[in-house]
Order: sequence, then C-alpha cells, then structure tokens
Amino acid sequence: MEPLVQIHSVRKVYHRDAFEVPVLNGITLDVPRGDFLALMGPSGSGKTTLLNLIAGIDRPTAGSITVDGREISRFNESALASWRARHVGFIFQLYNLIPVLNAFENVELPLLLTKLSKKERREHVEAALNIVGLGDRMFHYPRQLSGGQEQRVAIARAVVTDPTIIVADEPTGDLDAKNAEETLDLLQQLNIEFEKTIVMVTHDPKAAQHAKHTLHLEKGLLAESAAAQAAEA
Amino acid sequence: MKFAKLIRRNLFRNKLRSFLMIVLMGAIFFLVATLIQILTTFETMGGAPTSDRLVVQSAFSLATMLPYSHEQKLRQVPGVVEVCKSQWLGGYYKERRNTFAILSLDAEKFKTVFPEFTISDDENAAFIRDRQGAIVGDDLMKRFGWKIGDRITLHREIFPFDPEVTIRGVVHHTVMGSVLYLHQDYFNEALKWNRVGTFWVKVKDPNQMAALSQQIDAAFKNSEDPTETFTEKEFNRQFVNMMGNIKVFFGAISFCSIFMIVLLAAITMSMAARERVTEVAVLKAIGFGRGLILGLMLTEFVVTTLMGFVVGVGGAALLYRSIDIAKWTMGFLPNFRLYPSTALICGVAAIAVGLLAGGLPSMKSANLSVVDGLRKVV
Repeated sequence: MEPLVQIHSVRKVYHRDAFEVPVLNGITLDVPRGDFLALMGPSGSGKTTLLNLIAGIDRPTAGSITVDGREISRFNESALASWRARHVGFIFQLYNLIPVLNAFENVELPLLLTKLSKKERREHVEAALNIVGLGDRMFHYPRQLSGGQEQRVAIARAVVTDPTIIVADEPTGDLDAKNAEETLDLLQQLNIEFEKTIVMVTHDPKAAQHAKHTLHLEKGLLAESAAAQAAEA
Repeated sequence: MKFAKLIRRNLFRNKLRSFLMIVLMGAIFFLVATLIQILTTFETMGGAPTSDRLVVQSAFSLATMLPYSHEQKLRQVPGVVEVCKSQWLGGYYKERRNTFAILSLDAEKFKTVFPEFTISDDENAAFIRDRQGAIVGDDLMKRFGWKIGDRITLHREIFPFDPEVTIRGVVHHTVMGSVLYLHQDYFNEALKWNRVGTFWVKVKDPNQMAALSQQIDAAFKNSEDPTETFTEKEFNRQFVNMMGNIKVFFGAISFCSIFMIVLLAAITMSMAARERVTEVAVLKAIGFGRGLILGLMLTEFVVTTLMGFVVGVGGAALLYRSIDIAKWTMGFLPNFRLYPSTALICGVAAIAVGLLAGGLPSMKSANLSVVDGLRKVV
C-alpha cells in the first residue's frame, strides 16, 4: 500500500537576518497509513520543522512532500490552508485553546470552515468530546479545566473533522506524569481503534514507547543517515 | 453568521479595556457630533423661512448707528407697513456672569412688527404706558425669580447707561426666552443721541422684499448715513459669516478629534492583535485563511468603533432631544437637534476609524506565519 506521507530529499533553511540556518538537510521518509510515528532528537535537530512541513504549516526549501497522494509542497498558502482544514488535526504542547471560547466552541472551531449545519456540527463536537471523556465538561472554559483536560479538548479539536493525519508537537511536554500517560493512551486509542495516522514529536522516551515506530533526528538528518554520513566521513 | 460568536467573545475579551475604549470613543464622537451639528446649525441659520421683515442698518457697519430721521423716510417707501427701531444694548444683572440679551425698541410697535412673540394685551399695554417699563422672556423670569412689578437695575455693557426698569410683562417665544426689552425712548432719553442701530421694517408683500431693499438703500444713498438693507435671512447670515474663523476652528477640532481616535484605536487594536498572535497562528494552522482572519479582525475593530459611535452620537441625540439648547444659548442655537446627516457623517467616520486603525494590525495578523506565531509562545 502507498505510504500516507512521502517525504523526498527535503531541505529546509531558515533565514535569520543575514544568516542562513540549515535545519533539515535532505530527509527522505515514508509514513505508512495508520502509523503512529514518534520523532525524537535533541533540540535543534529539526523534528518540529519536519512535523510542520508534514502538517503543511511550513514549506520546504527543496524536495517534495506528498500526503495522501497530493504534493502539498507545491500548494500556495491559500490552498494549504484549505487542505489543512480538511486533512490535518493539530495537537500542541501548550494546548493552545482559545481562552474566550468554552470546550464545545473550541472543538467546533475547525467545523466552522465546513458546510455542516449547526445541528451536524453539534453532533460532531459532542462525539469528539465524548471520545476524549469530556462530555460532561462541554461548557467549561479553558481556565476552568486542568492541563490534562485542556489537552484532551485540544485532541477533540484535532479529531473532530476526522482528519487524514494528526500531528502532535510535544503533546505531553506540559503535563504531569499521570495526565501525560492518559493523553498518550488516548492518542494510542485513536491510532488503534480509529486507525488515525499520528506523527508525534517528543523528547520523552516513555512517550515514544506508545508509538508504533520511533525515528531519531540529528542535525537535520534521520539518525541512520547521519550515522552513514559520519561513517563516510 | 457562524463566526459572530468568536467576534463577540473577542470584543469583550478584556472587559475593562473594551469598556474604556468604547467610553473614550463615545466621548470623542459626542464632541465631534456636537461640533458638526453646531456648524450645520450655523449654516442653516441663514436659511430660516422668509419673513415679512427687512432690517435696515448702516452701510458702514452694524456698529454705526443711523439717525432717527431715517424712520420718516422709510415710512414713505411704498409697501412699508410699519417701522420699529431697535438697538442691541447688552448688559448684565448684578454680576457679569448674569449677562443676557437686552434690546431697546419702540414699545408700541413691538406686537405689530414681531407677532411671533406672545404677550397678554394687558401686559403689553402696561409696558407701552411705562417709559421705564420692560418685558422679559419667560426663561429669564424663571432664572432670576423675577415677578411682574419688580424694579431692577441693569448694568452697562456697551453704552454709558445703566437702565433701571420695572417689569411690566412676560413675553413668550419658542427660542428667545432669555431676552429683556425696554423702551427705545428711555434709552434715547438717557443718551440724547437720536440714533439707533437698526430699523425693522414690516412689509406688505414679502415677495417684493428684494425690490424694497434696493429702493430703501437708493433713498439714502447720497445721505451722510447711507443704509444697507437685508432680509431677515440675510441679516442672520451676516452673523454666521462673522463666525468664519469659528467654523474653521470647529472643523479643525473635529478633524483633530477624529485623528486622535484613530491613533488611540490603533494603539489599542495593535495591543489586542499582539496579544492574540498565538491564537491567530492556531486558527491559521487549523485552516482559517488569510482573508478570513483579516475579515474577522477588521469586523471586530469596526464593531468596536461603531459601539463608540452609538454611545457618543446616541447620547448626543438623546441629550439634545431632552434639553432645549436654544434656551441655554439664548437663542444662539435655535432648534438644536442632532440631524440624521450629522449622525451619518459620524457613522461613516466610525467605520473609517475602525478600518484605518484596525487595518495594519489586522493585516499583520492575517499575514502572520503560522510557524512564527506558534514560536512566540513555545
């Protein structure tokens, strides 16, 4: 079966003032459909940049990224925005819920970009919040929720549109051990029961253990490639 | 609209700031609406309905007085029904802060030439009989607690003459409620000048006023005291024209006020946008496009300025509906109401302020890179 995500010779260089900062140096990687992939590596290794490229919130300097048969690296900004709305669910380290909206309204946000009716939106939101176990906290505001609960609302927001892929950037980085474990279990459940493809960036080896596969990045390269390059040198 | 809730919640995200901003804008829009309305009222003052009166003054200036002998010649002009001498005296009661309009006129001609003023026949007759009598506007009576029969001393403003008068009647007028009228003869007896500022001429046919004006001025052209005759409308317009600089001044204040709102709103809106950089990045990440973000933020900012407009202009409309500004200003601003055109100008200004002040922060937010926006917090 064709991989869901195909990354080919991707390079990413950031321009900071007069300097060029290479972050990814030619990554080639396939992510199979239904995979739960953990990306690990030291700070500055390029794992978040790679995640951003897969999610379509950044564009590679060179190379190509294809997700579900569509080469998103060729999309313009507007096309990328609509593509993200339909295909990507985001989970952030700091949850990034909108503080003036309650849990229900936060989860409903991505659905506002669809043509669903109000009733259909409500059904989807209730289903998503029930999956993450927060059916009884729908009308609580972020400030009225614990960190773990906020992250679960963020997960509900990520899955409510039934996206093709879920990207999670350090989803347990701001949680205590218990909540981190619950969040990872939830991601695992989404992957196994609902067959969601998940790419997760983490520093935590314990978190990575919940994934089906783990890849390590070093200096903008996958660890195996980096080792091969070192050997060649 | 699906996004109305998001806009509404963001509007009152920081309640105190939003409240203060709206109140501030309201105060400025109140000021601007008032100034625009004063200017509009000035403009329309000269456009009062044509009456059947002409005003004859010196061709040199309003301050130059004309001889009494002109009255006889004026009466001989065909089409003239009545002539009433009138002089602006100015003055105050007891203290300078009690300044009000004091005019002398021919008492026996008052009701004929100025029929829009109402006074009982008895009181008018008592006024005519008493050379040191006076008739007083109802607002002035209330203000000083005067009663008919009270003897009062007024203090000079222009002429070397402190009138001592007895109140003989109360005169009612829709606008001119704060004026005191005394006898022209009493004024002239004191100064023995036999001169007066204006002659108010009641004409038979209002359609002939232009021709009559020319005829009157022609009659005095070669005299030592040539005249200039105006319709009442033109006479009023002179005062408006004298206020030319005030109009510029008011216009400048209005412009500066609007400019001030733009700056204040721009600062506040920039702060509001800056606080939400990460949220905007999240919205963009989940698929909100650049245009949608721009539209949402601009709508929010324009709604804020429109709320200021509603508070300020609505407040002004209510205030001027409930308070008779004409009386407060001694008839200087007659029928002072907030016109729909003034409200419309302020409404357009409010939208423009919202777009101008919110434009830059909204565009910055719309063009924000998702990665940069998320990095600001992480």
